[in-house]
Amino acid sequence: MISFDNVTKRYPNGYDALSQVTFSLDKGEMAFLTGHSGAGKSTLLKLLMLMERPSNGRVLVGDQDLASLANSQIPYHRRRVGVVFQNHQLLFDRSVFDNIVLPLRICGFDPSDAARRARAALDKVGLLSKEKLNPVVLSGGEQQRVGIARAIVHKPQFLLADEPTGNLDPKLSEEVMRLFQQFNQVGTTVLIASHDLGLIARMPHRVITLNQGRLVSDGK
Amino acid sequence: MENNLRRKGAVRVEPNTKRDARVHRGAEHHRLNVADRSRSYLRHHAEVARQSYFSLLAQPLTTFMTLAVLAIALALPGALYTGLKNIQQLGSGWDGDPRVALYLKQSVTEAEAETLSRELLLRDDVAATELITATQGMLEFKSMSGFGDVFNFLDTNPLPAVVMVMPRDLSVASVPLLQTRLQALPQVDDAVVDMAWVQRLAAFVVLAERAVWVLAALFVMAVLLVVGNTIRLSIESRREEIVIAKLVGATDAYVRRPFLYDGVWFGVAGGVFAWFLIQLSLLLLNGPVGQLVSLYDSQFELAGLGLIETILLLLISILLGLCGAWLAVGRHLRQIQPQ
Repeated sequence: MISFDNVTKRYPNGYDALSQVTFSLDKGEMAFLTGHSGAGKSTLLKLLMLMERPSNGRVLVGDQDLASLANSQIPYHRRRVGVVFQNHQLLFDRSVFDNIVLPLRICGFDPSDAARRARAALDKVGLLSKEKLNPVVLSGGEQQRVGIARAIVHKPQFLLADEPTGNLDPKLSEEVMRLFQQFNQVGTTVLIASHDLGLIARMPHRVITLNQGRLVSDGK
Repeated sequence: MENNLRRKGAVRVEPNTKRDARVHRGAEHHRLNVADRSRSYLRHHAEVARQSYFSLLAQPLTTFMTLAVLAIALALPGALYTGLKNIQQLGSGWDGDPRVALYLKQSVTEAEAETLSRELLLRDDVAATELITATQGMLEFKSMSGFGDVFNFLDTNPLPAVVMVMPRDLSVASVPLLQTRLQALPQVDDAVVDMAWVQRLAAFVVLAERAVWVLAALFVMAVLLVVGNTIRLSIESRREEIVIAKLVGATDAYVRRPFLYDGVWFGVAGGVFAWFLIQLSLLLLNGPVGQLVSLYDSQFELAGLGLIETILLLLISILLGLCGAWLAVGRHLRQIQPQ
């Protein structure tokens, strides 16, 4: 499903965020990506999102070599991916519902179909009763769940999460992780970048470890 | 209760069979077919157009100020063009039929002048003649010029009789030829082709036309900059939204669309606004122009923007709005990328 083949990312200032990283993630697998800050977790996710391109090596998603995608095809690639951000990236000028329906609007869903799917996603994260609220009045945990609902509303092939429990207390963190497990159980490939080692240890999933841009362990 | 909601939620996820015929959904992902795509494309256009319209109305003061600048920038060349068109029309009234004015000698009597006028009419190179006798000339001068009292101090009428000759061949080459031939007639004191002022007017019109174009080009740039700057501010204020839309797979066209519609609406409203400004300024000019024209005993009437010109004004205005928006969007959207 996801495959990194000898991938190096060197920034223009000469800094190697990733060097010669090779690993692969099977379809339907769930894995954690861990390492200290600066280890290259975010860069790896950015490469998967095509927010950055590798300096060397190949990144494959599905059977697609991301290097073969022109810039104009990036949006269509991103529609296959659901992303949960650490800082939620919600829009505070609209309701929870309108935040979640955004990816569906962009994909061109019929409005009534989109509304049905958005409500289903909200229901999944247990926030159906708050669809009309502005996300600004929600707690951190609830905002994160809105972010998750938005990431899965269009049923992406794989789900990326960048420190999804970064600002949450342990109980909420576990709830969020359980949500990811649920999506994984219905077939979605999930990759979660996190440095919450205690939480990761309690979960029966593969752990990919990076250190200063190098792969230390691919957890297999 | 929660359980109930959950069940309802689960039911909602079930693909609805009616749509399923069109939406082919795999186990993990789904694709929309062409008909769905084009329908959603049109729907997005309509939606964005409506949203853009209401978002402009939501900030009435800002929108009004931008529109006022646009309208003035469009109305100035528009008004100049209209004025020019009127002057051209004024010139063309005479331009087509140059006449040779034959000033007869003082010794020629009224009856002889009458005969001459009829004889000239028989010539091949003359289309028409018109006799203005000395007496007629004096009356006309009295009534039109306001210097009628001058005649009270004179014993005799100093004005000569005049025969206005309309040449059959109006070409630039033949009119002076006819003028020389008529000059040679014994009764004629002087033969004058009254073309000089028409030529001067034509030269002036060419100059003014050039000036209008130069001004129009400057104002076009002003319109582009005003729209561009307004759209740039709008892009800045929606930066976050743009980043998120790009992250969840919005194409450049999708992100661009609302701003282009902003530009179109500015164009539409600015054009309508400019049209009113032009017509209003003509209305204000109409009185004085009427007075001036009546002094010249002319049928001239001030013409406003016609239907075609109105449509043209609107089209130009919309096009400028769109181009201004496009310039701003092209420049600034490229800079906004998810980090």
